[in-house]
Amino acid sequence: MGRRTCLALSLLCVAAAGARADERVSAVGVIDLRLVHSDGATSYLEGGPGLLRFDSSDDGLHLGRAFVALKARVTDIASVHAVIDTYGDHDRNPVDLSELWLELRPYPVSALRWRARIGAFYMPVSLENRGPGWSSVYALTPSAINTWFGEEFRTIGAEVEARWLGAPSGYLGDLALVAAAYGWNDPAGVLIADRGFALSDRPSTLFGGLGRPPMTFYHEIDRRPGYYAGLSWRAYDRLELRALRYDNRADPGASTLSGNYAWLTRFSTAGVRFEPTARWTFITQYVDGSTWIGPDSAGDFQFRMTYHSAFALTSFERGPDRLTARYDGFGTHQSQGFYGPPPADQSGHAWTLAWTHELGDDWQLAAEWLRVTSNFPPRLEYGGPPGLVESQYQIAIRYRFRFGF
Amino acid sequence: MSHHRSGARGASGWRGGSATRFARQFLRSAKYVTFCLALVGAIRPCAAAELAVSVVEASGRALGDVVVTIAPASGAAVLPTSGPRSAVMDQRHRAFVPRVLAIATGASVEFPNNDDVNHQVYSFSPAKRFQLPLYKGAHHPPVSFDQQGLVVLGCNIHDEMVGYIYVTDAPWFGTTGPDGTLRITAPPAGDYRISIWSPLIADPPSALTRIVHVDAAEGATSRVQLTRALRARPEPRPRRGDWEY
Repeated sequence: MGRRTCLALSLLCVAAAGARADERVSAVGVIDLRLVHSDGATSYLEGGPGLLRFDSSDDGLHLGRAFVALKARVTDIASVHAVIDTYGDHDRNPVDLSELWLELRPYPVSALRWRARIGAFYMPVSLENRGPGWSSVYALTPSAINTWFGEEFRTIGAEVEARWLGAPSGYLGDLALVAAAYGWNDPAGVLIADRGFALSDRPSTLFGGLGRPPMTFYHEIDRRPGYYAGLSWRAYDRLELRALRYDNRADPGASTLSGNYAWLTRFSTAGVRFEPTARWTFITQYVDGSTWIGPDSAGDFQFRMTYHSAFALTSFERGPDRLTARYDGFGTHQSQGFYGPPPADQSGHAWTLAWTHELGDDWQLAAEWLRVTSNFPPRLEYGGPPGLVESQYQIAIRYRFRFGF
Repeated sequence: MSHHRSGARGASGWRGGSATRFARQFLRSAKYVTFCLALVGAIRPCAAAELAVSVVEASGRALGDVVVTIAPASGAAVLPTSGPRSAVMDQRHRAFVPRVLAIATGASVEFPNNDDVNHQVYSFSPAKRFQLPLYKGAHHPPVSFDQQGLVVLGCNIHDEMVGYIYVTDAPWFGTTGPDGTLRITAPPAGDYRISIWSPLIADPPSALTRIVHVDAAEGATSRVQLTRALRARPEPRPRRGDWEY
C-alpha cells in the first residue's frame, strides 16, 4: 500500500510537471447511463451467487460508468496516462484511478520500434476491450475472460514492447513481442477460485474494493515479482493475433496478517480478430490456467484450481449500427481443495446479443441482452440450487467528450 | 488574308444594296466558316491527345491511389519532370490523405495535421529520414525530398497510420483517381515505358510495366489488369471506438 501510494504520487508529480511544462493535456471521457432489467440471482457484487453485474433488485436507472482518460505530454516521446473512473456503486472509493502510467515512445530509427510503460495498466491482451480504460467496442459487457482480466489483473510494474514495423519493407503488418515484470498482483486468482467466471462490465479500480464485502487485488505479499510475455501479430487491417503467458510467481505459502493470501496464478491466453470485409468482425479467445494456494507442512498445495474459458464473437457493422453476437463457455475444476464434497467446480455458458447505434460523434445508444447459464455447487450454502439461468437486459445512452488544455 | 478580302468585298456589297450579291457573299462566308470549323476539328484531337492509364483489380474493380510513372522506352533522353514542385499530405481521421503521393525528385511536401489529436510523423526510409515532433495544424515547414525512392511514413503515436511518398525522376507521373485511371496530356509521339506501383498490389513488379506507343494524334491508352488479390483493403476501415487521444 505504501509503495503503491508512493508510485502513484510520483507519477502524478511527473504528470503535473509535464502538464505545467507545456500545457499539453488531452482527454477523452464517457458518461454511460443505463436502464436495467434483470432476473439474476443476487449479484456477486452484493456477496450473492449471481454472475451478472445487475440482479433482480437492480431494475431501473443506473450509472453504467463515467470515466476520463487523460494523457499529459511530458516530452516529445514521453507521456503520462491516467484513467479516472466512477461506477456509481458502493465502492469505498467513489472515484478512483484505474490506470496510471508513464509511457516512452522513442522515434523509430529502424523497423524495430521500442515502447516502454511504467506504472499501473491493463495487460495488452484483449481483442474486445480496445477503447480507453478497458472499454469494449462490441458490447456493453465483455466476455467472461475479459471480465476476469479487468477484475483481477493490473500490471503494476514495467512493460517493454519491441514491434517490428512491416510497412517499410512492403509487408502490410507488424509483429510485436511484449514482456513485463510487476509486483502487487499476488492475490490475483482469489476471485476465480471463490466465484468462478462472471460476465460483468465492472472492472476493479486501483485503490477501491470490488463488491460487498470489498475485495482488493493489488497487494505485494511475497516480494517476488511476476512476469508476462506476449506476442502480437497484425496483418494490416484484417487479422490480429495476440498470445500471452502470465505467471505471477507468487509464493503460495505467503500471506499477510490481514488475511490476504498469495495465489500462484499461471495461465496462457490467445485470441484472434479477423475482419474479412469492412463490415464483418470475428473474434475468438481462450484462456487456460491454474491457481494454487497454501502448501502444507509437507509442501503440498492445499488448494488447486484449474480454469478455462473461450468465446466466439461475430459483429456486423453498417453505417451507424453495429450488431454483435457472442457465445462464452467457461469452467473451473477444483483438483485439491477446502470445499466439498461436492467440489467447487463451476461450469457454464452465456449468450450475448448487443446493438449499438451512433448518434453523431458524441452520443451512442446501446442495447444488450445477456443470458448466462451456470452450475456451481457451493451455491447450496446460500440455500439455493447450484444451477442458475440469469438474464440481463440493458439500454445505455453514452455521451463521449473530449477536451485538452 | 481571305478574311480580309471577303470582308472588304462584303462591305462594298452592302453599300451597293444588291440582294443577290449579298446572298453570294453570305454563301462564301458560310463556306469560309465551315472550312475554319473543319480545320479546328482536325486540330483538336491532336492538341487534346491524352495518355490514359487505368488499373483494374483482379476482381474487376478500378483501383485508385496507384502511382503511374511514364518515361521514354529507350531510357536515353532525360527530360525534366512535368510535376509540381510542392505537394501536401494531409492527416485526417488518423490517416494520411492521400495515402499514396507521387512527387518529383526535389519537390517538397507539407504535412498539415487536421485531426484533433497530435501526430508525430516520421520516416526511416533510406530515401528520406526525418521526423516531425508532436504537432497539430500546419506547424512544421515543408520537407523536401531530394532523392528518388519510396518513403514510408508512420506516426509514432498511431501505429495504424501508414503513408507513402513515391519520389520519382520520371518525366511524367501521377496517381490513379477513384475511377482507377490517370489521364495526362500525351507526351510527344514515341514509345514509353509505363510502370505502376501501389503498396496494395501483390502482382510481381515484372507484371506491372508496359511499353506503350503514343501516337501524335490519337494519344494512347493502357490498361493494367491485376491477377492477384490485393494485400489489403483499398479503403482503410474506420476505427470507430478505437479512439485515441
